Amino acid sequence: MAARLAPLLAAAALVALPPLLPKYALEVLISILFFGYLGACWNILGGYGGQFSFGHAAFFGLGAYTSTLLFLHWGVSPWIGMLAGGLLAAGFGLFAGYLSFRYGLRGPYFSLVTLAFAEMLRVVAVNWKAVGSSLGLVVPNRGSAPALFLFAEKLPYYYVILTMAVGALVITRAMERSRMGYALAAIRENEDAAEAAGVDALSTKLSAMALSSFLTALGGTFYAQYFSYIDPSLTFGPAISIGGLLPAIVGGAGTVTGPLLGSFVLTPISELTRAALRGRAGADIMLYGLVLILVISFLPNGLVGWIRARRAPAGGRR
Amino acid sequence: MTWLFLQAVVSGLLLGGVYGLVASGLSLIFGVLRIINFAHGAVMMLGMYASYWLFVLLGVDPYLSILVTGPLFFGIGVLIQRIVIEPNRDAAEHNQLLLTLGVALFFENLALVLWQGDFRTVRVWYSGASFLVADVLVEVPRLVAAGGAVLIALGLWGFLRTTDVGKAIRALSEEPEGARLVGVNVARIRGVAFGIGSACVAVAGALVTPFFYVAPDVGESFNIMAFVVVVLGGMGNFLGALMGGFIVGLAESLGAAFLPGSLKQLVVFGLFVVVLLLRPEGLFGTRRGR
Amino acid sequence: MSNDQRISLTAPIGRRRFLTAVGAVSAALAAPALVRAQAREVKVGYILPVTGPLAFEAQLALNGLQLAVDEINGAGGIKSLGGAKITLLPGDTQNKVELGNSEAARLIDQNVTALIGPFSSLVAFSVRQVTEKNKTPFLLLATVADNVLEGGLRYCFRMQPNARAMATLTVGNMIEMAKNAGTPIKRVAIMHEDGNFGTTMGNHVEAFAGKMGYELVQRVPYNLRSPDFTPELSKVKASRPDLLVISGYYGDSKIIAETAAKLRIGVNALVGLANAAYSNPKFITENRELTDQLFDGNYWHNPQSARARAVFEAYQKRFNSTMSNHGVQGYQVMFVLKDALERAASTDREKVRDAIAKTNLTDHILTQDAIHFDEAGESVNATPALLQVQGGKPVVVGPARFLEAKPVFPVAKWKG
Repeated sequence: MAARLAPLLAAAALVALPPLLPKYALEVLISILFFGYLGACWNILGGYGGQFSFGHAAFFGLGAYTSTLLFLHWGVSPWIGMLAGGLLAAGFGLFAGYLSFRYGLRGPYFSLVTLAFAEMLRVVAVNWKAVGSSLGLVVPNRGSAPALFLFAEKLPYYYVILTMAVGALVITRAMERSRMGYALAAIRENEDAAEAAGVDALSTKLSAMALSSFLTALGGTFYAQYFSYIDPSLTFGPAISIGGLLPAIVGGAGTVTGPLLGSFVLTPISELTRAALRGRAGADIMLYGLVLILVISFLPNGLVGWIRARRAPAGGRR
Repeated sequence: MTWLFLQAVVSGLLLGGVYGLVASGLSLIFGVLRIINFAHGAVMMLGMYASYWLFVLLGVDPYLSILVTGPLFFGIGVLIQRIVIEPNRDAAEHNQLLLTLGVALFFENLALVLWQGDFRTVRVWYSGASFLVADVLVEVPRLVAAGGAVLIALGLWGFLRTTDVGKAIRALSEEPEGARLVGVNVARIRGVAFGIGSACVAVAGALVTPFFYVAPDVGESFNIMAFVVVVLGGMGNFLGALMGGFIVGLAESLGAAFLPGSLKQLVVFGLFVVVLLLRPEGLFGTRRGR
Repeated sequence: MSNDQRISLTAPIGRRRFLTAVGAVSAALAAPALVRAQAREVKVGYILPVTGPLAFEAQLALNGLQLAVDEINGAGGIKSLGGAKITLLPGDTQNKVELGNSEAARLIDQNVTALIGPFSSLVAFSVRQVTEKNKTPFLLLATVADNVLEGGLRYCFRMQPNARAMATLTVGNMIEMAKNAGTPIKRVAIMHEDGNFGTTMGNHVEAFAGKMGYELVQRVPYNLRSPDFTPELSKVKASRPDLLVISGYYGDSKIIAETAAKLRIGVNALVGLANAAYSNPKFITENRELTDQLFDGNYWHNPQSARARAVFEAYQKRFNSTMSNHGVQGYQVMFVLKDALERAASTDREKVRDAIAKTNLTDHILTQDAIHFDEAGESVNATPALLQVQGGKPVVVGPARFLEAKPVFPVAKWKG
């Protein structure tokens, strides 16, 4: 009974509480949801598809830059620019994905090539004056303009990212239960066997890639609108790539709620460390490293996997 | 223009030697353990700090510090492998990758916490030494680093060829099942391989300390380069790593000299992607199952 | 100044801080009368990267702030507020954007009258939104990017020269000096790190070439993390410049200077542009031969001013090290605030903001005329000093009216 209620209560709290919270508690929640969202997007390709991308920042950055440039130069509302960014990112994802999958890159090789792609985009952005090079792009925020994805307060941003996060979860669930989901699961288990059984691995993986990259790009636009400033290292850098995959792994790759749960867990850890080791920069990331090691070693299916295993002891092996 | 080209070639080769040593360690680790060690650069950074502290506190010359840091980081490498990696030897490949990522995050930030972010430099009497060969600059510390790196890498290659442990490593790397069958102590050799790889990279760190600086994130640039070199040279191919080091050093250097902006990185990554796609076994590697 | 981003994850708060914040807010709301009654203290918050990659420089700035606060309080505090003392409240950004935001928000909730910080331009972009939203005066410290004050901000002020001023005035000073020495500068090359800081400087040096009468013969952005800059410097040498400008951070600037010397780069002088190393006392002490006669255009104190000299010595005595440009900035910005507080005779943020906007401060230790701000919040007369390392320490060799020693130009060892 309690188990059923808990998620509902949590959901209700997430919707109702924020207007009552002080400003930086709200900021924290936005952060949690933001990384949970990124994790969920990554999860589609990484957790479900089994293709561990270390360069998802490529899509994030493409989204952020596309919507921002469209907005700054042609006044296109970022709500629309977001979609354009998503399409561009999906296109790039298909391109990168096609090259990688077609040439049979799997496992760590795939991870490395995605890392390379993200870095290459970063270097291009740094050296390209038209997109601002290292000076970055400032998104002017003069107050409320909801039609232009600009809000004077933090609260509306919170609801946007909440919607996005929930949306990502819903999409993940739908995908999980669809044909694509089953095909992905088969590929994840054993790609060659799946192929032999008639699954078109290439197009399935590409579909996952397209979806994952599209959604990640939307996160880039949110970032640009929320922080009002983007530059190559912030958007194409490892902070985003790793920031997205960590919650997914810790929470449970290949599960619907894993990424969000992971984000809700990692963030307080960071804060507790910061509070406990007052002003020791890096202490929190050090702990992240440790948590990552511990989770991989003892909870290889993440927190969700662990919770499930405890709930269904008999025959609960994944 | 010819001078610019020659200078770039020389600089590239000098740096490439160091890349080669760093990559050799990484290649060895991959060959035996089949994991891409993300913590490689972090270990190099720790090696550099070790050399730094030995210099500052005890006045030990960085080159001499190798005698201490080599064995020390061999031990540290073995420990890391035993504690973190070996227990998860049967885990999914990508999980093992993430393990080394965790180690990297841990070490890099440990250094930040312990020693803060400021740059530290080691200045020895030969730090400023250099000479010109037909107008082309050769800096002595860089020459020593490159030379030392090549010597150590060759020495290691010899070790792999002639000693029992070396042969066991090669056996495990080339033919894992067969190695098991003939009684190679797999667990021990895996630890040794990681140890040697870590020692290599720590020593490489000591070699660059006289002309580079020490900070918690110095390993990062070498880390990326090491991956590129290893892919180029062929995973598990020791000599290939050395050759790959020179190639990458040259590519980077020529890119810096002749391309606008900081696009040299694009050359290196571009090379990386092309090789990964078209010849993932590396330029010098032999095709084997991935 | 740095766009160095670590793996920056969130800036959450725990229960403890949450409760403290809620407590602070309710206390402030519940007792406004208490606050108005007797302002025995003026709370000033700083947000600096005291830990993390910029910790060293941030500490130097903090030293300057602290020196100023102690001097002000020692002399009786803010007279127009009945001798109220200044209390410095700390904020650590770790050079991360989210932390900058949350620390600013936290300090604002603790009722600071003004905020000082944050070093990195990246952090500044974000924090200025917070301070603007909360109508809190924000005095920038070491933040160089031009566009930080863009957008009609009312509460943001910058005392130091912005990037444009740094670049144009430094190069301008060099050209002037070269002309007076009879060896005019016609061909300029610039190497800069490829992040925000370096690129901004590079853009200005390039944009002003025609106007200032020189040709930009080579511009080389470089990756901060490179272990070797020989190819880049070779490119520079091949373009035969008279002057090489370097805009970079500590480690890379060191390697560049070393390699440039060995390469016999052939310029008349090497000048840093807001360079993190070239006028840094620690760098100079550790690299005597290398740094001799290096130029740097940077913030500095005025050697002609008796007060500046006194402050310099006070710093030396207290912190047992030479006051660097960060210390100077920290010290002076606090006095700008003090001056504003005296005139405002209030800790009300709006009044203080207005007072800052009307600043016309001549009693300062910088190498410039009176400090006063324009509509955008930029300090109109802000001028960097042109320094040259002579005899193991940086001395002011320009502008002419602040001269401490005559410049040595051309510099033989760079000539090759």
